[in-house]
Amino acid sequence: MKWLDFKRDYLVQFWSPIPSVIAAGVLAAYYFGITGTFWAVTGEFTRWGGHLLQGIGFHPETWGYFKVIHLEGSPLSRVDGVMIIGMFAGCLSAALWANNVRLRQPQHRIRIIQALAGGIIAGFGARLAMGCNLAAFFTGIPQFSLHAWFFALSTVAGTWFGARFVMLPVFRVAVNIKKVTASQPFSQTSGQAESRFRLGLLVFAGFSLWAIAKTFDTPKLGLAALFGLAFGILIERGQVCFTSAFRDLWLTGRTQMAKAIILGMAVSTIGVYSYIQLGVPAKIMWAGPNAVIGGLLFGFGIVLAGSCETGWMYRAVEGQVHYWWVGLGNIIGATLLALCWDDIAPVLATRYDKVDLLVVFGNTGGLMVTYSMLALAMLAVLWWEKRFFAAKAAVQEVA
Amino acid sequence: MTGQIPDYHLDMMGETCPYVAIATLEAMAQLQPGEILEVVTRCSQSINNVPPDAVNHGYQVLEVQQDGPNIRYLIRR
Repeated sequence: MKWLDFKRDYLVQFWSPIPSVIAAGVLAAYYFGITGTFWAVTGEFTRWGGHLLQGIGFHPETWGYFKVIHLEGSPLSRVDGVMIIGMFAGCLSAALWANNVRLRQPQHRIRIIQALAGGIIAGFGARLAMGCNLAAFFTGIPQFSLHAWFFALSTVAGTWFGARFVMLPVFRVAVNIKKVTASQPFSQTSGQAESRFRLGLLVFAGFSLWAIAKTFDTPKLGLAALFGLAFGILIERGQVCFTSAFRDLWLTGRTQMAKAIILGMAVSTIGVYSYIQLGVPAKIMWAGPNAVIGGLLFGFGIVLAGSCETGWMYRAVEGQVHYWWVGLGNIIGATLLALCWDDIAPVLATRYDKVDLLVVFGNTGGLMVTYSMLALAMLAVLWWEKRFFAAKAAVQEVA
Repeated sequence: MTGQIPDYHLDMMGETCPYVAIATLEAMAQLQPGEILEVVTRCSQSINNVPPDAVNHGYQVLEVQQDGPNIRYLIRR
């Protein structure tokens, strides 16, 4: 009975997203200490696009962008690569435990168009800014890189435009409620649930064993794979969605995910700080117009697509076909950016400084500035929530 | 199961975010106080949207049933 309770409460039911995001923040700090790089996914997706181009005879390794992000080796020989494979394994295990893998086709053609178009815009914007919701936001801000703040603020603006756009009539499907006298039963899937659960355990155990064996051989790669597994389980079980954190501020006034992400960055920041003090070099990127334009595009794109770079990963594994299109769009968008990088980078990015807040304000000053800005962000979210529902109450009052 | 019987049914089986939560709020506004709406969906992410949005907008979440990919919400206006 104990096991069945544990299974139901922790392996089948979804987890609360707030502790899930905070746990991801803690893990992300350790991940930086162990691997020397931050938790990030889009750079590796861009490399996949590069490998595809190599496969059909192009030479992207000579392009400036791939010299910046490196195209050497294969996904199996890169920290980012094994970590992402781990994330997919984690998402798949977690989805199988809950019998939540099922082919779900989009019901409307407009959804496929918005998934692909939004994915391309978001992928392009993310790589222009040298990161996505992770490297230029969730794990970029704790690196004390000013570019991540540029990106975060412009993503807020981009999602506002995106939220207005996706509510246009062309994207809306009529809301038809039907008068009923009883609940609609779900079809029974208990036999499948049991076999899927066992398959999920098999994927989890198999990948864990592979990663542990790898750890003895090449510790960084093995541990990165295990961290990826944990990240994957966290985002699927918690249904952690960075897109909704921004978008739903504007659409429904919900602030739960935004608050969770700010808290996650707050716990991550002090951990990353401690490693930087011990001598691990921080990952700092150009704080130029590229981060601002990239954030605007990214914010608009993720809302149009319905998910960001981490969001599509677990949804795609769950069998939600909509997000296969988003993932494909991301890789296309990122590869397009790599293609035109040499033309736009001198103007938008590389002539600007890589601004490290710990250098500008000193170690303690940079830490205080970062926590002050996180506190301001939290206050802004609380203020917005109050304002949103006050405005709504006023409208109802009039009606 | 709480044994609550819904008055209205909203089928969101093929929809994704944010439309499940948006449609649910729009549908709730059409109900009379005390009436119950049943929403069924296969959008996993709605688990973090529909219940908190319903509560934030002044409705009562009676039940959240998760059965594999299917999720059912019962919400009272």
